[in-house]
Amino acid sequence: MDTARLNEIVERYPAPAGKILGILEQVQREVGYLPKDILQFLAKRLEVSLSELYSLATFYSFFTLAPLGEHVVTVCMGTACHVKGAPELVATLKRLLGVEVDEVTRDGKFLLTTEDNHFSLTSARCFGACSMAPVLRVDNKIFGYITPDRIPAILEQFGWKESQHRGS
Amino acid sequence: MTQVIIDGKPCAAEEGETLLVVARREGIDIPAFCFEESLASYGACRMCLVEVVKGARPGITTSCTLQAADGLEVLTETPEITGLRKALIELYLAQAPRAESIKALARRYGVEKTRFARKVVKEDPLQNRCILCGLCVRVCGEIMGAGAINYIGRGQFTEINTPFYEENEACMGCGACAEVCPTGAIALEDRTDTRVMKSWSETKVPLARCAACGTFFAPVPFTRYAHEKLDPGILDALKDLCPACRSKAAARKAILLKKEGVIPPEPELQA
Ligand code: SF4
Ligand code: FES
Repeated sequence: MDTARLNEIVERYPAPAGKILGILEQVQREVGYLPKDILQFLAKRLEVSLSELYSLATFYSFFTLAPLGEHVVTVCMGTACHVKGAPELVATLKRLLGVEVDEVTRDGKFLLTTEDNHFSLTSARCFGACSMAPVLRVDNKIFGYITPDRIPAILEQFGWKESQHRGS
Repeated sequence: MTQVIIDGKPCAAEEGETLLVVARREGIDIPAFCFEESLASYGACRMCLVEVVKGARPGITTSCTLQAADGLEVLTETPEITGLRKALIELYLAQAPRAESIKALARRYGVEKTRFARKVVKEDPLQNRCILCGLCVRVCGEIMGAGAINYIGRGQFTEINTPFYEENEACMGCGACAEVCPTGAIALEDRTDTRVMKSWSETKVPLARCAACGTFFAPVPFTRYAHEKLDPGILDALKDLCPACRSKAAARKAILLKKEGVIPPEPELQA
């Protein structure tokens, strides 16, 4: 995203400092994440500290600090899904997507993206769909009663190709 | 002036003054972690609970957010309050198991252990002492105007640090954060010519050297801040001196002024 576009987003608001979340949201939508240099630019432009922007960016789960792939696969790690086998789903997904490196952040969250940027894998707390546990979501679509053997078919709907994505 | 009654004792107070401040002035020790007179009341730590027995809103509330008003009567230690404080102490013992001030409070209230899982993080920049009271963040942002640190993350994983956990040039190395921290969580260290903010991602700030005696005395950005904001009238000749040499120079000037009635030359400075 270039400076002109950023300025355009900022200028949409008469009092931009009060609209930080709106601005960050737009950046997240257009860029797919909140790049560090954009946060630095916005801190100067909006006259707020970088620490404040970083604080907001890490507070809301909508924001990510790393690029997201084209399709985001989210596994529910709520209590019901956990009990019903969510960890196995994560393990299977990691294998199928070839993103086995563990890049777990301090708070236990993870965001793994395939090399071709086609998929990102992450987890979330309860989707509110416990009756269909375990559930996973691809983009905005929810899939319930998931077992590991059903996952390849689901991924294929989103352009997964075994030869291309599967890890060794 | 108005009068409030704390634990049966009539106390003079300014209208609207914080009850916690009134109590402290009267020597009544209400425990409190997130209160700092120079900042607006925050009501975050919940430690300063009191019970309003007469007043606009009777019941248990935080004394740091309670304003003195005529006829207000509070109790600072009832069985119910003690019970609540003990529960809070247990929570704090779990959150900040290495905090000496929490342990001291636990002793005062006879709390021997916590029922909650103690959170011990290896190599925690805040030494497993941070209770997330927010004072350091607010002092750095609202008072010093630096905003070098802030909350990161949310819920039980919330931490305080610099953005991206990187050295932050917004930090002036003033140490106001460490000064207000109620649990001594923030570590900083002066290494010859550099101040290292160990808790804040090892942010390094150069120290200014006294033009007269050569000791390193204060972080460079902070001396600039002090000259601009705290002491704009200071003589140029005194700016690069450490506090000891500065008072010597000032005293010398005063003596010479008295003695000879003339403005003396600038104090001679050795490099
Ligand atoms: S480091 Fe100290 S001042 Fe800062 S939030 Fe933690 S306990 Fe409060
Ligand atoms: S001092 Fe009142 S809530 Fe912290």
